[in-house]
Amino acid sequence: MLSFRVLVIAALLGSLPAATVRAAGTVQVHCVDTKNQPVADAVAWLTPLDVTPVLAPPAKPLVIEQQDQEFRPYVTPVVVGTRISFPNHDTVQHHVYSVSKPKPFEIPLYRGESKEAVLFDHPGLVTIGCNIHDWMIAYVLVLATPYYAKSADAGIAVISSLPPGHYRLEVWHPRLAAEVTRAVTVAETDTSPQVITMTLKPDRRIRRAPDASGGGYK
Amino acid sequence: MSSAPPGLRPLTSPPFPLSAPASRRGALRFHHFRTRLLLLMVGLVALVQILTYLLVVRVNRENALARIHENLDLGARFFQQDVDRRVAEFITGARLMSGDYAMRQLFLQPELDRATVRSALLSYSERLRAPVMVLFTPEGRTIADTRGETGSDDAAFRELIARADRQEGDQQASGFAVLSSDRLYVLAVLPLYAPVPEIVAWIGMAFPIDNTVAGDLKKITRLDVTFTLARPDGAGAFPVASTLPPDLAREVARRSDAAEGQSVLQLRKEPFVTTSHRLPLLSAGSARIALQRSLAIELAPSRQIEWSMQIIIPACLAAAALLALGMARGISQPVQALAAHTEHIVGGDFSRRIELARSDELGDLANAFNRMSAGLADRDRVRDLLGKVVSPEIAARLLQSEAVLGGEEREVTILFSDLRNFTGLSERLSPQDVLALLNRYLDRMSAIVEEHHGVVDKFIGDAIMALFGAPVADPDAADHALAAAQAMELALRTLNAELAAEGRPQLAIGIGINTARVVAGNMGSQRRLNYTVIGDGVNVAARLEALTKEASYGTRILVSDSTRLAARAIHPLRAVGGVVIRGRKETVMAFALDSAG
Repeated sequence: MLSFRVLVIAALLGSLPAATVRAAGTVQVHCVDTKNQPVADAVAWLTPLDVTPVLAPPAKPLVIEQQDQEFRPYVTPVVVGTRISFPNHDTVQHHVYSVSKPKPFEIPLYRGESKEAVLFDHPGLVTIGCNIHDWMIAYVLVLATPYYAKSADAGIAVISSLPPGHYRLEVWHPRLAAEVTRAVTVAETDTSPQVITMTLKPDRRIRRAPDASGGGYK
Repeated sequence: MSSAPPGLRPLTSPPFPLSAPASRRGALRFHHFRTRLLLLMVGLVALVQILTYLLVVRVNRENALARIHENLDLGARFFQQDVDRRVAEFITGARLMSGDYAMRQLFLQPELDRATVRSALLSYSERLRAPVMVLFTPEGRTIADTRGETGSDDAAFRELIARADRQEGDQQASGFAVLSSDRLYVLAVLPLYAPVPEIVAWIGMAFPIDNTVAGDLKKITRLDVTFTLARPDGAGAFPVASTLPPDLAREVARRSDAAEGQSVLQLRKEPFVTTSHRLPLLSAGSARIALQRSLAIELAPSRQIEWSMQIIIPACLAAAALLALGMARGISQPVQALAAHTEHIVGGDFSRRIELARSDELGDLANAFNRMSAGLADRDRVRDLLGKVVSPEIAARLLQSEAVLGGEEREVTILFSDLRNFTGLSERLSPQDVLALLNRYLDRMSAIVEEHHGVVDKFIGDAIMALFGAPVADPDAADHALAAAQAMELALRTLNAELAAEGRPQLAIGIGINTARVVAGNMGSQRRLNYTVIGDGVNVAARLEALTKEASYGTRILVSDSTRLAARAIHPLRAVGGVVIRGRKETVMAFALDSAG
């Protein structure tokens, strides 16, 4: 079903080792689109190939807020076992749900704090929507590795505190046309960033109609 | 051509060409002229009318064809639009359904309850009035189908899903496909988002192209509609829906499969303009929409005009024929009248006048005819009068050549006759009786002169001067003169016998004949002239006549020696000796001519 050609170009393609390692064990991933523009809200993660990583979900639930009838943040990468609460700061009620395989759930119409946080106990992508506001969307990427980062507006995701070793680098974005996977070796002295060029699908998010306050499109 | 060159008439032909048979030919010619004019007028009008009629018929047909072509194009576009509209309706409905809470609830369940999903789908298909609804996974596997547990022919749907997934804008697609049991369907797919743009399923639906669709299309476009299918195995096309009776629909399917675009089909011997468009099929085989419009129905309003023309054209022809007849009569009647008038002129009747109350050329012609008649009458009168005043030979000579003064010398035998004692006779009778007697005598005598090829030159009271050998030369002039003299004496005896019977007085004549060279010609003034002879010979003849009074000669006819010599025949002449002529030195030898009986 995915018809877009996947184009991944590593910066040092053809020069082995393909990955370079910083002294502190940090991998910097530069996410750009095919027009070389930075891509924000992309998630990059490294899965150790040599050892099974120890997952330490945060003790306190993470938060995906609902404000101005939008989810914030748009993309939330977590490790398996993380709990997320969905507080509603709007005056209108929301009906948060997901029909995604890793975590189908719903929080029927409510205002304020959600009754309890949702536990994301299976890896995979969970797409979250609001049953009464079609334009509201958020993604929770449940990962089986603690080494991940989300790209900021500059398109850079920094994954730090990496023990040296062999990793599989993967990147995801809501509009990503195909999976991106790359083998990375983390060493002591590497400084070069990983440049990931990703082919993006058209943005199909619903444009919100101007509301009564006349605020225009948001 | 062996005949005489044109313009030369055979000498034997009559002076006027319009003899009786010629005039009959003329009458025929006039009929012919009338017919020709009639044919010309009627022919011209007919030609113009028929050309106009043909033009109108052709333009009507072309207009009708153009209208039909336009309607057929409109019909095809309308069908496409109608399909698009129905698809849009379904999609709108399905989009509402995809956002439906209950549907999401079904997908929230850990295991998809297919039976429940299908029953929900049936409920939606009722709401949307979509005969077929199918739900697919994002990968294209069938989740539920309103037609049954398994969709047997979902390849077309899957093709549409692939197309919709590639869409830049709204992820939806539609197309034609053959689903179960050889029926043509319109298919549409759109995604079920949860939330947008996360596709959790594809909704597919289909509605059949059936007789209802065809009928609805006909209601709006007034076109006959037939949908045809041809299976990929190469068997012929067959109708799947039509507004036509089944046999015609089959015919259309068979014929329209061959021709893309517009053509004229003969259905039940009636021309139908047909357009056939291929409907792109998602499945194998080929489908078409064929639209027809009867040319006869489209032409019906034009037929009214054509029928009107079919009445107007003969009416115009009749009017033209009447007009042509009227015109022909207007020309041929006066011409025939003129021809008849000419007949009278040929017959010598110059008194008639033709009356044509017309101010045109024919009127002018009639006036010219009348003037011609008057002129001919005048000439005839002159000719008659001339014949009476002068002898016919002289008259002919005068008419033949121009009467000019002058003459020629020629040998002429001159005869002089006179009545004896007429002066005494006239004293005893009334003037009328004298004139009657004289005329009676002169009439007989001049007739005898003319019988003997002589010419009465003039009457001098009771005397006659006659010429022989003038104006027409005559080698027997002397013989003729002598014979005439004897005949005159004989005729006088007959006249005297008549006069005696009537109790009237007797007459006696004396005749003198001389042959001499004289000047013959026209004499007198420029205005008035006489044909006569002048010369001494005339005096000799007159003198010889006078001498017959003398009893000593014992004859009534004295002939000069020159006449005796000129005569060729033997005449009973008796010499009487020389006579003295007044004014002449020599004597003239004279001879007495004894009477013939």
